[in-house]
Order: sequence, then C-alpha cells, then structure tokens
Amino acid sequence: MSTVLPRRGTILGVALLAVSAALPLWLSSPYALSVMVLTGMFLVFALSYDLSVGHVGTVHLAPAAFFGLGAYVTALVGVPAGLPFWANMVLSAAAMAVAAVIVGVPSFRLSNVTFAIGTLAFATVAQQVVNSAVDITRGPLCVQGIPRPALGSLEVTTPAGYYYLLLPFVVGAVVVYRMMTAGRLGRTFAAVHQDEVLAAAAGIRPLQYKMLAFVVGAAMAGALGSFQAHYLSVICPTELATDYTITLLIIVFVGGAGSLPGLVVGSVVFTVLPELMRGLGAIDVTPAHQLILFGLILLVVITRWPDGLQQLWARRRPPIPEDQALPDGPVLPDGTPTADPAAVDPPAAEAHR
Amino acid sequence: MVVFLDTLLNGLTLGAFYALVTLGLALIFGVARLINFAHGDFFMVGGYVLYLAIDGDAVPYWLAIVLVTVAVGVLGVVFERLVVHAIVERPWWVHLVATLATSIILSNTALLVFRSDARQVPTSLSTTIVEVVGTRTSVQRLVVLAAVVVVFLWLRWFLGHTWTGRAMRAISQNRETCAVVGVDVRRVVVITFGISAGLAGLAAALLSPLYSVSPGMGRVITLKALAAVVMGGLGQVTGAFSAAFLIGLVESFYGAYVPQGFTYRDAASFALLLAVLMVRPHGLFGRRVGL
Repeated sequence: MSTVLPRRGTILGVALLAVSAALPLWLSSPYALSVMVLTGMFLVFALSYDLSVGHVGTVHLAPAAFFGLGAYVTALVGVPAGLPFWANMVLSAAAMAVAAVIVGVPSFRLSNVTFAIGTLAFATVAQQVVNSAVDITRGPLCVQGIPRPALGSLEVTTPAGYYYLLLPFVVGAVVVYRMMTAGRLGRTFAAVHQDEVLAAAAGIRPLQYKMLAFVVGAAMAGALGSFQAHYLSVICPTELATDYTITLLIIVFVGGAGSLPGLVVGSVVFTVLPELMRGLGAIDVTPAHQLILFGLILLVVITRWPDGLQQLWARRRPPIPEDQALPDGPVLPDGTPTADPAAVDPPAAEAHR
Repeated sequence: MVVFLDTLLNGLTLGAFYALVTLGLALIFGVARLINFAHGDFFMVGGYVLYLAIDGDAVPYWLAIVLVTVAVGVLGVVFERLVVHAIVERPWWVHLVATLATSIILSNTALLVFRSDARQVPTSLSTTIVEVVGTRTSVQRLVVLAAVVVVFLWLRWFLGHTWTGRAMRAISQNRETCAVVGVDVRRVVVITFGISAGLAGLAAALLSPLYSVSPGMGRVITLKALAAVVMGGLGQVTGAFSAAFLIGLVESFYGAYVPQGFTYRDAASFALLLAVLMVRPHGLFGRRVGL
C-alpha cells in the first residue's frame, strides 16, 4: 500500500475513515445522516470527475449524464431483471463505460474544446431523451418502486444503513483514484496533462490515457447512479440535470483540481453549505439562489486562483536549486545558456517550447 | 408541397436564428481564442429586454430592436471588462469554467426575476400573415431572413474594409505581432465583444416574437451555435454561417418528416455534429487550427 499512498496520507486517510465510521454515534438524526450520505456521494462523484479534469486535463461536461443514465440502467434493466444491488452497480458501471467510449471517440478527435462541446451535447440530448421517451422512462412521471438494497437476507432500510453501505464504496473510489493517479500511471497522466506533444514524443499515446480516465470516471459515476436509484427508490429525469455538473465543477475547481484533500474539503463544504443556507430561513432559498451563489464563487475563484483554494494552504514545494534549474534564456545544444537567440538551432528552440 | 415549403421556410428561419448567434461566437473565438459558453444567455437576456420594452406597448417595435441590440451589446462589453479581461491569457479550461459560471449566474438570475414559465412576445409583424410562393407565413419570418443577409454582408464588409475589422482579423492571426505594430489589442477585443453580444441581442429582438423566451433557453442556443462553429471549422466565420443554416434545415426536416422527430430534433442536430466530427474532425470547411 505504501507505494500507492504516501505514508502521511495513509495515516490521515485511515484516521478520517475511522472518524467517518464513528460519526453516526454523535450525528444520528435522519437529517444529519442524509447530509452525510450526500457528502459521501458527492465525494465519489467528484473523484470520478477529477480523474479527467484534474489529472489528464480534459474538462468534460457530462458527469451528470453518466450518473443519471447509470440510475436509469438500474431502474429499467437491472431491477426488472431481478438483479441484486451489487450486480446493478456493476451493470450500470459497465453500461456507462461503453457509453463513454461511444461519446469519447468522436469528441476526442479534434481538441479538448470540442471534447467539452461534444460531451455537453451528449448530456443535453441524454436529458431530453429521458424526459421525452415516456413509453420507456415514464418521463417526468419518474420510475418508482426500486427495491431497497439487500445483502443476502439483510435489507438496508435505515439512514444509518445506507451510510454504512456507502462507506465501503467511498473507500473503494478513493483507492481506485489513488491507484490511477499515483505511481507510474499517475506520472503518465501528469505528462499528458502538462504537455501532450511532449508526452507523445516520449512514446505516450495521449488519447489512450485521456480515454482511460474518461471511461473509468464514467463507470464510477454510473455505479454511483445505481446507488442513488436504490437509495431514493424513485428516479426522475432531474437526475441528469446540469445542477450536478455545476456542483462538481465548483467542488473540483474551488477545492483544487487533482488534489485529493482539496476534493474532500470541497465535497464537505459544498454539500453542507446549501444546508446551512436553508437553515438560515431568513429568505426563501431556492435552487436558483444556490446556483447563483455557486456560480459567483466559481467565477471569483477561477478568475483569481485557477488552481483552486488548495493552493492557498498547500505547502510550497522547495524551489529547484539554482544549478539544476533551467535557464530562462535561449540554451545552446550543449545546455549552456546564451544571450544570442540566433546561436540556437531554430528547430531545437521550437521543440523546447 | 405546402408541407415541404413550410418546412423549408421554417428551416431557413431556424438557420438564420442560429447564424446570428453563431456569427458572434465565431467572432469572439477568432479574436480572443475563447469559447463563450454564456453566449446563448446573451440571447436570453435580449429576449427579456424585448419583453420589458414592448410589453404594454411601451416603445414601438423598431425602437425596441435598437434598444435590445444596444443593451445586450453593452452587456457584452461589461462581460469583457469584468470576466474575460482577467482570464483571456489563461488556458482554455479557465475560459470554459468562467464563461459557464457566467451562464449559470445569468440564467438563474432570469429564473428568479421572471419565473420559469415561457413568455410570448408577439409583435404586429409576427401576427401579420402573408402569402408567399404558395404558402402562408408571418412577415416576421421574412424580416428575419432579410436581416440575416444584411448582417452577414455588413459583417463581411466590416471585417474586410474597416480599420477595426482588419485589426480583428489580424489579431486572430497573430496577437503578439499586432501588439508590436501598435494595434490596441484590448480595445479591439472590447469592440469584438460589443459587436458579438449586440448580434445576439439583435437575434433576440428579431426571433423572440416567433418563439418564446424562457430562462433556461440559453444553453441549448449556445450548444447549437457551438455545434455550428465546430462544424464550420473553428474560427471560420463563413463556414460557421453555412453550418448554422445546415443545422436549422436538418432540424426542421427531421422534425417534419421523421415520426416523433419533433421531440428529438435537438438530438438530431447534435448527432449531426458528432457525425461531422467523426468524418471531418476539422469541420466541414475547416483547416487545422492551434487549439
């Protein structure tokens, strides 16, 4: 495990897990537990999204579509087929992985920007189709009566039960996230993120790794959607709504893209914050108020601190010693700096970029 | 035959709608290398300004058109000063998140102020029906079609024959060199946002009477315009213009001739986008661009 998680991180993670597992001892009201379940779900959701956004640098706009479609796969395929809870999660994950490949192949063709546009188009169409195909999805009337999850003969019925059902899933998501973003694979992702051309020159196929992050993220979101279906027992087209995508954007970009602690803090803050706003009760807080506030926070943070607020508290890395640092000016082929740009071979300077 | 003519006219109107919005988006992309995900919301704001202007006959329609165009143009300038100015040198994903956040703020503010129900903004032109080549249509549609041709010709003239227009094209080719030879890049970018948003406002003033205005309409419009920009080849104004008409026609014919097509006409246009990306990743009229 030590190769996957840094030591300090492991200790912190286990401590956090222990606290999370013990939390229902103090916060045992159904309301508190439902907020905690929501926080855990948003953490998994944010982890799945950040694989693409924070680690290979492809901002896609379809996380809510994978989540919602995953829920519908469970409600319309898994449940009628009589599959148990865990099999539904696997089925939804697999279905969304396939969907991600189908959307990803054409959208990735040109650039990161068309990828964002293609995935937004997919998300919009998916929501319209789910809303309109009344014969299949019952449209705005929602699919009802999804059974509660059962492990053997043990049926999960209480809020605390759902919380403990979710906890292993959160741990699993964190482990997958760490496995993919630490070690060799993580360094490959970082190379693709920082400079695709350079990564390709080093024998890495950027497209493959972008697809990998996208597909694994989609599968995680699909499995989470399946959990949502069993948790709510009712699934509506609103599960595909962009509201989720916006909350994820704010968790990832305000918390800090590519930073696990940032995502944890972001998930807690932006799930609890709306609840606190609702608690104020002074004005009637609608989802529109909440989205305006989220939009403003996102706008201020992205224009001022594009790496997220984690950069405010993240420890500064020690500066690279002077003799190892690359000189700012043009460099001769043997590595010595020169004041005369003409002395540098033009193609070499181009490649250096 | 009447159905065919109706569908054709409908498709051309839709195409004109998307074209007016797309022109602005393509202009901004060319000059600032920025994809503006809030562009459809400029249209939405324009629709509500028109609603406020002509509701209860406060001002005549022709004055309302001017008013809406100017108001949304000013909104574009404010947007450039407050948001774009701070991020234009940053990478593309900062552009995406910042403009998307702006879109969220605009659409939800409209939701709070005007509620979610769609508003109708009929004008005397949209309720006057005339007979043209064997089919009946509102005068408004004919005005829209005439306007889009005028705007397109004006824009071509502007980009080709005025100092500012030429500066815009020069900046889209090489920003640094323009700054070096003394082009005030910031000023030209501000003007671009003003024109671009103004075009979205003009589109709103002309088209809201045919359709309706609702707070959430911006996103689908942005997507249609983005699809046209991508299909036309990023940064190609004429390509994007043609692609907008292609999308309008495909939607209209799909909606009229395919069973249940009307429900899924948005899906049809995005399927078209994905198909174009599969076959011609650089767009129908595109060349490779560096983004």
